[in-house]
Amino acid sequence: MELSPTPLSALSAGRADRSRAARDARSARLTKILLAAAVAAIAGFGLVVSDAFILTLAGYTCAFGLFALSINVMLGGIGEVPLGQCLFFGVGSYGAAIGMLKLGLPFEAAALLGMAVAVVAAAAIGVVTLRLTGAYFSIVSWGLTGVAMVAAINLEGLTGGPLGMFGFPPITIGPLQLGTPQTYFYVTAAMLLLAVLFLVAVRRSPFGAAMESVRQNRHLAQSVGVDVTRVRLKAFMLSAPLAALGGALCVPYAQIVTPEVFNVGNTVDGLLMVLLGGSQIIAGPVIGAAIFTLIPHFLELDPNVRILLFSSVIILIMMFAPGGLHQLGLALRDRLRRSNDADQSR
Amino acid sequence: MLTSRAEPAAAAPVVVKASEIVKRYGGLTALNGVSLAVNEGEIFGIIGPNGAGKSTLFDILCGITKPTSGSVEIMGQDIGAMAPHAIARTGVARSFQRTAVFADATVFDNLLYGRHASFRHGVIGRIVGSKAHRDDQAAFMARAEDVLALTGLANDRDRRAGVLAYGVQRRLAVGVALMADPKILFLDEPAAGMNGRETADFIALIRAVAPGRTILIVEHDMAVIKELCSRALVVVDGRPVVVDAPHHVLRHPEVVTAYLGADDE
Repeated sequence: MELSPTPLSALSAGRADRSRAARDARSARLTKILLAAAVAAIAGFGLVVSDAFILTLAGYTCAFGLFALSINVMLGGIGEVPLGQCLFFGVGSYGAAIGMLKLGLPFEAAALLGMAVAVVAAAAIGVVTLRLTGAYFSIVSWGLTGVAMVAAINLEGLTGGPLGMFGFPPITIGPLQLGTPQTYFYVTAAMLLLAVLFLVAVRRSPFGAAMESVRQNRHLAQSVGVDVTRVRLKAFMLSAPLAALGGALCVPYAQIVTPEVFNVGNTVDGLLMVLLGGSQIIAGPVIGAAIFTLIPHFLELDPNVRILLFSSVIILIMMFAPGGLHQLGLALRDRLRRSNDADQSR
Repeated sequence: MLTSRAEPAAAAPVVVKASEIVKRYGGLTALNGVSLAVNEGEIFGIIGPNGAGKSTLFDILCGITKPTSGSVEIMGQDIGAMAPHAIARTGVARSFQRTAVFADATVFDNLLYGRHASFRHGVIGRIVGSKAHRDDQAAFMARAEDVLALTGLANDRDRRAGVLAYGVQRRLAVGVALMADPKILFLDEPAAGMNGRETADFIALIRAVAPGRTILIVEHDMAVIKELCSRALVVVDGRPVVVDAPHHVLRHPEVVTAYLGADDE
């Protein structure tokens, strides 16, 4: 293969290579610093905050943050709006509940069962629905949550019917009592952190590159050898167990699982978190989840005012940064770089 | 009817072969019995007036669209039953007329997306830094540097593709296609919308990447065809008119009346 760079371009390529290596080193250092900061923040929050309600709410926020991450695997990952994602959230919740009450499993085994069922369900649903894109995929996946809700209401022997499932034994993970607010928070926060780290690794892997190329331009992705259908299915099967884990970890907080977990409102809440935090930053949904649940609590907002406020924010985001808040950051970066270039050439 | 066909050079094997391609959309016949044979190492042009069926033929040749009847063989393999990504992995790359690049990604990431289908490491390999990951990474970096230098994009590597000038985006599109080191390169109206300077740069780029490759170009711009192609096929109203060297093609009487009569220079 003949590629003969001219000396001049080779020179500039070498220079750029060095600056890239330096930038990679910087970004690796930044990742470590952010990780240390996250661990410190979690430990600090758990130690400093003594209010049981706040700790439990923070734990629940982390659990719901896992669900938001799952939504963002689809939205930020391959560019689909998964309105039916609460299906997997509900499968996780019911998996934990049925596992504990009907099968007598410990919580962690029940949660794993829910995650496994979610992966299998995602594979089966994905094979059929991922042929669709855009609004069609959103609507069909939403429709399936309706099916799940009807099933949960009517399969009384398995799901407890419309009243749902409650009266769980004390929920533990190994020696950890999830009934203790501080422990609950630590466990959910640790799970969330692990999920973020895992998704960062996915994003940087060839599969992450494949997802991103499919999201940006599926036709071009196909023409450079990406199996678009397969990548979309893998993303769906990756997102499902995350949602199920979130659903399972909400059980110790809610202490009840009803067919309402399949309400599309749950997905919409998760979507709002993603949009608030930014869909192109891996930890964005987590930031969004914190904004979404903690700030209204501290501001003591009336739920109706909260809906009004968040709806307005979402409209503003959609108007000025339809791809999520990160777009503003990108635009700013481009502008800064352009003005930098202009300065240098002067 | 086909009135003249240049014989393929004896030595070079045929790498793209289309036989009696017919494509109908309902009652409309877009292509009616087009055959062609492109030899290894050749730069082959497909030209014709608007609506002649060039783009349909192009899409059929690279497997995006399936013909109503007829067959396409690429490097001896019938692509009729192959998915587009599978065809791409046999060493075929194409550039699109529109949406040619990953607009939200940097130039460098565009090149990464062009390459990653050939990576052998996975998520776990990425986490633990496996040998497959290091090898993939090293091969990618070396290739990316070469392609950046070749396409003249070294200084734009960290810019978002969507903000680049049109001509630069087209060079990047070729760069993305080159990342997988394709044996066959399909270019769909690469010079459409370019100014004279951009077209000249682009012709130089294609000449530089041509050695060791077979290139097939659909193009409206006669200057590009004359500069680059050894042979060109003229398609008019969905049927092949002539295959020959560009300067012969342009003098062919049916081509002059059917195609060039309207907008000859």
